[in-house]
Amino acid sequence: MLRKEVNDLLTQTGADNPMGKMFRQYWIPALLARELPEDDCEPVRVKLLGERLIAFRDSKGRYGLIDEFCAHRGVSLWFGRNEEGGLRCPYHGWKYDVEGNCTEVPSEPEESGFCEKIKLTAYPLIKVGDVLWTHMGDKDNRPPEPAWEFATVPPEQTFTSKRWQECNWLQAMEGGIDSSHVSFLHSGGLKSDPLFKGAKGNEYNHADKKPIFEVTEAEGGLYIGARRKAEEGRFYWRITPWVMPSFTMVPPRGDHPMHGHFWIPIDDENCWAWSFDFHPVRALTDEERQAMKDGHGVHNEYVPGTFRPLQNKDNDYMMDREAQKRGDTYSGIKGIAMQDASLQESMGPIVDRTKENLVSTDNGIIMARHRLRKAVIALRDNGTMPPGRSNEHQKVRSVAVVLDADQPYAETCKEDLKSRPGTKQTSV
Amino acid sequence: MSESSHPTLLSSCALAATAKEAQFRVPYPNSRVRASRIFALDQRAADAMMTITEQPWQGAHFLTVRVNVDPDKTAASDLPLEKPDGSPADLAEEIEGANVVVLISSSDNNAGAAEVIAREAFMRNIMSAGLVLNEDGDAMKSSAVVNTLRPFTSVLVIATDQDFIPAMLTALRA
Ligand code: FES
Ligand SMILES: [Fe+2]
Repeated sequence: MLRKEVNDLLTQTGADNPMGKMFRQYWIPALLARELPEDDCEPVRVKLLGERLIAFRDSKGRYGLIDEFCAHRGVSLWFGRNEEGGLRCPYHGWKYDVEGNCTEVPSEPEESGFCEKIKLTAYPLIKVGDVLWTHMGDKDNRPPEPAWEFATVPPEQTFTSKRWQECNWLQAMEGGIDSSHVSFLHSGGLKSDPLFKGAKGNEYNHADKKPIFEVTEAEGGLYIGARRKAEEGRFYWRITPWVMPSFTMVPPRGDHPMHGHFWIPIDDENCWAWSFDFHPVRALTDEERQAMKDGHGVHNEYVPGTFRPLQNKDNDYMMDREAQKRGDTYSGIKGIAMQDASLQESMGPIVDRTKENLVSTDNGIIMARHRLRKAVIALRDNGTMPPGRSNEHQKVRSVAVVLDADQPYAETCKEDLKSRPGTKQTSV
Repeated sequence: MSESSHPTLLSSCALAATAKEAQFRVPYPNSRVRASRIFALDQRAADAMMTITEQPWQGAHFLTVRVNVDPDKTAASDLPLEKPDGSPADLAEEIEGANVVVLISSSDNNAGAAEVIAREAFMRNIMSAGLVLNEDGDAMKSSAVVNTLRPFTSVLVIATDQDFIPAMLTALRA
């Protein structure tokens, strides 16, 4: 369980909340680059950390992320005309550039200098990989540009998707480090999913249903190691890195692409679940890319034209009791992503953690909350920059490996746990 | 997949998962007080543990063993176990009826004591969790400690600060 004041501390992410201030110390994923596909394309409404913003790409290809509402009388600039180097409000013609500067107020004489007095809040929007990233904090204290491996490998080696999840970011993120649910909730998927099946490691998963966990602190966050029995007294380890505040990677399977997630607050009752797949040394095959687009692996299907999953709370996630009974899926919900999302949303928009009864195997989650809480308090009370901002912390990989019984995984796999451009992942 | 268009009824997820509905969670407790037994296996672990024993815990017992023993020659009743006030405690009595055992360790020369405690827990089917304090971040040293605890615990945490002890015990409702 978590005391109410700590639950509030970690789940509230508005501009005035300590956790909100912490999220504003990072470059966070804001949009898929394909949402702004060309110069002067449609602007996109986006809410992040409780702030309503509008993203656009101007005539010169510059990206902007600014206050959604016109400074004149508050019209949404989503209706705006994206033309000639700026976004023009359709009501009275005021125009803004990518930095939020008002460049034209047609009713006022240019000489009056009136428009220089108008400025919308603007955040930088940069493209790294398939993602447009923003930093919503102090412009004089920007972290280095993101260096996550999935975003820095060549484009043919990576695929990213995002989906709207209707709950607080923390309960979604905790699913990513909750290694003990995998043997239950996702037990149906290992055999059938094209993006998982066939790996040698899967046999260890099936043979030993009671993994033992070791949680180790890392500078940027944590490693959560789950070990199962392998041959001759050795151990099969699956190692999940978590980097603050909300990045995780799933341990790989065979030569399948590696995958992971970001959980980014939209507001305190909704978040973006970002899911990526990449291969460190080869292009994704056409079949793999198609499987990802079709919603396999960590991805999902959508309500057409939206980022809302096709299975959502309005249709009870298309619960299939027959499949549940047969054991095709453990919960009756199809697909890894929606198996997680359905249960996390069912907890309510912000789960009441005072009612929890955690057990020893929840120690990964307990430690992650502890690290977040310490980082939030250090930032709030002393201005200490949180872990996970530096590129070194971001250069991580998950690992699947067989080790001797007395080998400590974090030290033995030190190099394997780092992203190394051009080097294959450590996987069985 | 079955029918793709279930109607949205009063009892469906669409309504059940709203903030408004979350307020109707049953207002009574969903668990009873547990019996947690926390063992510090060396002096540094004991020092860290003793800073928090005064907090209002829900029935946790804090116990210390300061010397190492030969597990093959040490019966449960022979383990030199101390309560926070320095009085002796009996391992079998402490473990009987416990729900969870936590072993806190900062060194690798207490494997014998860990084994004696874990043996008693194992016989009674009680889960043992290990917490390795590695405050100086020395990987080699912590891996030696990990190796002493690994055979006996079903979950291990390697923590760099002792604040994690109360965080973990609170989370576990100790
Ligand atoms: S069994 Fe874990 S939430 Fe129900
Ligand atoms: Fe999951």
